[in-house]
Amino acid sequence: MLQFLARRLLWFAITMFCVVTLSFFMMRAVRGGPFSNERSLDPAIERNLQAKYHLDWSLPRQYFQYVGPFNLDEHRASIFGGDGTDTFGGVLTLEFGPSFKYKDFTVDQIIGQSLPISSLLGIVAMMWALSLGISAGVASALRRGSGLDLTLRLAATGGIALPNFVIAAFLIILFVFLIPLFPVAGWGSVRHMLLPGFALGAPFAAYIARLTRTGMLEVLSQDHIRTAHAKGLAPRTVILRHALKGGLLPVVSYLGPATAGILTGSLVIEKIFYIPGLGSHFINSALNRDYTLAMGVTILFTILVYSLNTLVDLAYTLLDPRIDLDSI
Amino acid sequence: MATPEKKRWQFGSGDMEKLLSEVASHKGESLWQDAWRRLKKNRAAFWSMIFLILFGATAYFAPILPLASPIALSLRTEAAPPSWPWEAPPATSEETPHGAAITSSFGSIMDNGWRHRTVASFSAKSDSGGGIPDEVGVALTELVESTSGRTAVLDRRAPIGAGAPTGLYLGVPYNTEDRPRTDWEPTGVHGKATILRTKSTQAWILFDAPIDETEFIAWRVELHGIEGHLVLEDGAGALVRYSFPLSEAFDGKVLGITFNGRRLEASGRVDSPTAADGIAAAPHELPEISLKAFFGDIAGQLLDASAATGSVRVMSETDKKTELLFERAEVRTIEEEGLVHDDLGKRLERGLLALDLPSGVNVTLVETTSENGYWELGSFDMLLLNARAKMFGLWQTGNWLGTDSKGRDILARIIWGSRTSILVALVATLCSLLIGVTYGAFSGLMGGRIDNLMMRIVDILYSLPFIFVVIFLITIMNEYRTELADLGIGRDTAFYVVIGAIYWLTMARVVRGQVLSLKNSEFIEAARVIGASTPRILFNHLVPNVLSIVIIYLTLTIPAVMLFEAFLSFLGLGIEPPKVSWGTLAVDGTEAVNPVKIYWWLVVFPAMAMGSTLLALNVLGDGLRDALDPKMRGKD
Repeated sequence: MLQFLARRLLWFAITMFCVVTLSFFMMRAVRGGPFSNERSLDPAIERNLQAKYHLDWSLPRQYFQYVGPFNLDEHRASIFGGDGTDTFGGVLTLEFGPSFKYKDFTVDQIIGQSLPISSLLGIVAMMWALSLGISAGVASALRRGSGLDLTLRLAATGGIALPNFVIAAFLIILFVFLIPLFPVAGWGSVRHMLLPGFALGAPFAAYIARLTRTGMLEVLSQDHIRTAHAKGLAPRTVILRHALKGGLLPVVSYLGPATAGILTGSLVIEKIFYIPGLGSHFINSALNRDYTLAMGVTILFTILVYSLNTLVDLAYTLLDPRIDLDSI
Repeated sequence: MATPEKKRWQFGSGDMEKLLSEVASHKGESLWQDAWRRLKKNRAAFWSMIFLILFGATAYFAPILPLASPIALSLRTEAAPPSWPWEAPPATSEETPHGAAITSSFGSIMDNGWRHRTVASFSAKSDSGGGIPDEVGVALTELVESTSGRTAVLDRRAPIGAGAPTGLYLGVPYNTEDRPRTDWEPTGVHGKATILRTKSTQAWILFDAPIDETEFIAWRVELHGIEGHLVLEDGAGALVRYSFPLSEAFDGKVLGITFNGRRLEASGRVDSPTAADGIAAAPHELPEISLKAFFGDIAGQLLDASAATGSVRVMSETDKKTELLFERAEVRTIEEEGLVHDDLGKRLERGLLALDLPSGVNVTLVETTSENGYWELGSFDMLLLNARAKMFGLWQTGNWLGTDSKGRDILARIIWGSRTSILVALVATLCSLLIGVTYGAFSGLMGGRIDNLMMRIVDILYSLPFIFVVIFLITIMNEYRTELADLGIGRDTAFYVVIGAIYWLTMARVVRGQVLSLKNSEFIEAARVIGASTPRILFNHLVPNVLSIVIIYLTLTIPAVMLFEAFLSFLGLGIEPPKVSWGTLAVDGTEAVNPVKIYWWLVVFPAMAMGSTLLALNVLGDGLRDALDPKMRGKD
């Protein structure tokens, strides 16, 4: 266990190093800076701007300043209002610096504002996906070959085949305009979360339903289930206590990719439902050359994906005692 | 009871031959035959395959179908619901069919739909309720020409209902060298002359009668009085290349330089020379100063003021030199197109305000379209388009599935969009195949430390949030668009490669795993023991076994790539207008969702096309997986 975690941590460090270094240098290698869109900027002003964000430094120095942990800027006070010149800073202390476009905010502040919204949306979507997917999968496995099974499988394949923004458009037409149940856009109450959460979770629900069905069918044909039935256990107990545990294994291993997918999908859903989450920041910052914000968001997403994957692997061993962590 | 007599079987003399002949005549089923048999039994997968083949054929041969143009705009401000008529060709060219803007002749099928890009649509309305005078069209043409730097072609559309505004479309030709074809009867020669192509300083003219130089000069003098060099290109006078000096352009009639819509009459050239005048007024006498002003003019409009100064030292030079410099100026203006057209709409609006229009006529600018990128049709598509014109004439489908808010036909857009989407999916998947198989096979065959290292790299790449990598790569690509174009790499190609470069990871893993397990499997060892050569083992045993898993993965990657393309298009990073793909269609549909009126056909039909195709692909993929699974072999 510890060995597993240690190895994961080592790979995490290597991955993060690659992400930070590559994205830092690639971003700066591309033509056009964050201020190149503002036409006819006075040279003096441009110089000042560049000095403020250290764009006039050499690239390695900029890089070390960005990564930290030591602050290389002698005039740190001028940006942050602090006074120390030798204070810690940079990515290693989780300080992503000031945003280039949203001039009064640091990247940490922007992330702090929008991350809770995005993660809440993600959690709602995940809940939708898991509850719908698992129940549909179990139902169609238990009634294999019936009309219910066929319908659910067709719905699941449809859910995989349609992009989530098309599903979202259908949902808006149905549940906002034709049957006014939900508000069309915005964020704040539970009613705001249900529709985008569902649209975001639908493809994953479909996939989870498929995986659950396959897993359950395999488990249901095994000896220990027959034994459980023979012991005289109630069918509900057999399914919930004995079958589900093994049947959900493929689902658990899918949770890692699913989380990454939900993070990605939230870019689109946030745009449709006007949710002030992280998604819009990423795209805009990449297009605007808002170096610090783009990198902050990328790093954040990498951390999220990586740690979630590790968690999934851990959960896997809890469910399946046959798997040895140290062999992964 | 008599027990049956037991006869001991002995290996007789004839048995060996019998066995051998049995072995020789035994026809086993190959992996593929078996798979095909089982795929046919899986009805859902089989019909999915038929559906996909039909759909792919429809998409591939789309130009031959009598569809409306997927990009031609109309003046509608609202999307039209589906309706089911066929559209007959309009009686006169002035009449507009209902719905999407279309075509009065085959030429205009091409011109409206494909070869001309509408740059600006104006809506003109006369207070008195009468027609719009011609001078309005002329004034607008000049405005568009001077703003866009291209020769513009005016297209009038009659009002759709009583009291409705007249549509005035101004298009620029497909590319700078193309001007609309002009046929006319010259007075100097017997026979017909056709201008094939004109360039800023050259014209290619085709005569259908033999012509010699004197005749040509007579003809030329008669019509234009333009001094120039004559090169007979194609034997005795079939094709003539006619180049003329800097100060002229050839536009069917004498316009001076129509480049940039500015005319050179102002510099003192004889405006419409008679036969004798034309030669006498030798164009080389243009004063240098006016030329400078002319170039300055171009520069001021198209480039920054500093850009064209280098080009104005030409008057005393030879024609050839002049020509070169002129072309250089042209190249530079094209390069700067993005800059010009970024604010084309604004500048047209400003120009419209300043325009001196007859009183009682109201002209408003409806829309300008971006000038970047025409929808280029390849020669095969042109062939199909020609065939379509022969087969269907001007008949075409009405708006069976409705139109979008710009009046473009949804059915045509879905079919043309599927073309793009399928192409993206196929090319990107092939890219991923190429990278993934090479990488995975190499890694699996090498084994040991190299394998370990290569797979670690894949692991690292896996843990990156790859959507961000893609967005980032596409941003970079947009920045270096012109450089890529110089290398002959279009944006689309780069787009395919970027997507393919993302999707190879899983392929590499799958192939590597398969190769690794096959490498040490018993049947390979058996083959080696029998004495099979390495190539035989590789191609007869390894490749087919890897191939099946690759095919399965391919059919599952294609829908994933299609979805990804849609996703990117939604974010504005995918296929760019005027091209359509399912992604852009879905985006249009999503954007049209509003509480006032529900344009359901904008959402439902594209979603149905996309959903059914992706569904079929998924079903086929699953079917193939079952059919090609070696474990299932021989079972039904």
